[in-house]
Amino acid sequence: MKKGVPLFITFISGFILIVALFIPHEPFGSLQERFNDWYIIVSGFTLILGIDSLLAYHYRKIKRKEKEAPYSFALLLTFIITLLWGIYSGIKHGNPFAPTSTFLRYFYTYVFVPLQATMFSLLAFFIASAAYRAFRARGLNATLLLISAGIVMLGRVPKGEDFSPYFIAVTFILIAIVCILEALPRISIYERVLFFGLAIISLILIFPIGIFLKTKLPLLSDWIMNVPQLGAKRGLFIGISLGAIAMALRIILGIERTYLK
Amino acid sequence: MKEFFEKISKIDRRIIYLLVFISITIPLLIKKGFEFEALPEVKNAYEFIEKLPTGSRVLISIDYDAASMPELQPLLEVMLVHLFKKDLKVIMMGHWPLGLPLGQIALEKIAKEMKKEYGRDYVFLGYRPGIAAVMLNMGKEIRMVFDVDYKGTPIDSLPLMKNVHNYNDIALLIGFEAGAVGDYWVQFAQARYGQKIILTSTAVVAPDLYPYFQAKQIEGLIGGLRGAADYENLLKRRGFAYSGMTAQTIIHVIILIFIIIGNIGFIALRRIK
Repeated sequence: MKKGVPLFITFISGFILIVALFIPHEPFGSLQERFNDWYIIVSGFTLILGIDSLLAYHYRKIKRKEKEAPYSFALLLTFIITLLWGIYSGIKHGNPFAPTSTFLRYFYTYVFVPLQATMFSLLAFFIASAAYRAFRARGLNATLLLISAGIVMLGRVPKGEDFSPYFIAVTFILIAIVCILEALPRISIYERVLFFGLAIISLILIFPIGIFLKTKLPLLSDWIMNVPQLGAKRGLFIGISLGAIAMALRIILGIERTYLK
Repeated sequence: MKEFFEKISKIDRRIIYLLVFISITIPLLIKKGFEFEALPEVKNAYEFIEKLPTGSRVLISIDYDAASMPELQPLLEVMLVHLFKKDLKVIMMGHWPLGLPLGQIALEKIAKEMKKEYGRDYVFLGYRPGIAAVMLNMGKEIRMVFDVDYKGTPIDSLPLMKNVHNYNDIALLIGFEAGAVGDYWVQFAQARYGQKIILTSTAVVAPDLYPYFQAKQIEGLIGGLRGAADYENLLKRRGFAYSGMTAQTIIHVIILIFIIIGNIGFIALRRIK
């Protein structure tokens, strides 16, 4: 009974919504609207539930005098200040976000926005550092990813094509050096010729590829975005959607019950 | 030699941070930009808006917050200028409550600049929880979700909203996306109700939206600061996004240089070992 009622409600709700998608006429059409209304109301209450959970979690941390208690105290304090200031501005100006409201002008514009923007902008520094550390040509797949990333990074910014010949020159000179280093210790004459040949080809390719990228880099970048990238994305989307449908059916049919725990 | 390669494969992160900081701040302070061609997906969006008849209603959804403000706020402002210049009517709402005031600030600023009147030329509806349910109910009757605007004024008393009931009365929807709400707009507003949509997004979200553009489910796609700069260029109103592109070019080049240096060290050390 304890599990039977929620499972029955889930089954009926899911079933009606699926039927309403294909039969938008009465009585299913209006039922769908009613379900949507309930969903909006329940979503509103989940915000309250979230606040309750957050406050209870941090209150417990303060009560137990845990190591992170000062941060929890800061959170509770700022929560109370935000709430009281918002209510005060709401009463005074009719809305906490009214253009004349001090809550909007001082708290939101000068405290909240810079804090949130700062947190996110730190990403630029971490990405630069992480790209340098992690983007290594460890194998064929990693090298292909590296080349595509380089093309897209330069192809999507203005004047990127002007920089591309220099990158090509450096990269191919490096390949030539690696080939020469590879050739020197070889005893077999064929292997030596092969690696020296590869080094010469790399050096010869600098000019045509550099010229090609200087004129066609944005097109190449667009091609990567529109063909291989899109193909991979579509595959992912189809996989995710099939997974979501399977999960939804499992929940509606009562096979998946973890949400009841 | 080995020491040198070890050094270049383990450059102190503080040096990288310093170079990133310098290469971003200096171009932003100098405010000088490069000339460049607009991307086709941005041109499509611009031309679609250009072709809208005067007085058409455009719904703007603010689905980002302050974290994505540097990328999306300049675009929002320049698009609002375009919409008001074309004498289109703007209805603004959003699914990210913490970012919604950013939309409101931009709307009030540009409306004041373009001498537009609240209720007649633009309306700010605010936020309602329940993303998918809000979108679906708006397809039936907007009043089922927004019976009042953000000030609590009944929308029936606003001249702009008088004959607006559902997506049929809205010529275009523009979503400003920093997350997955754009997918919901396509799934519920476009696929189900045939709503014309232009999606704008942060650069990191844009690749997820390309399938919709290629499948012609959206009319245009404006991704990241580059998209915003393209739009500023098309409208001949260069601002923050345009000058920000110089910083972006330099930072991309610097990151690539570091990647090459890191790989030189990596390959050389592998050979030595």
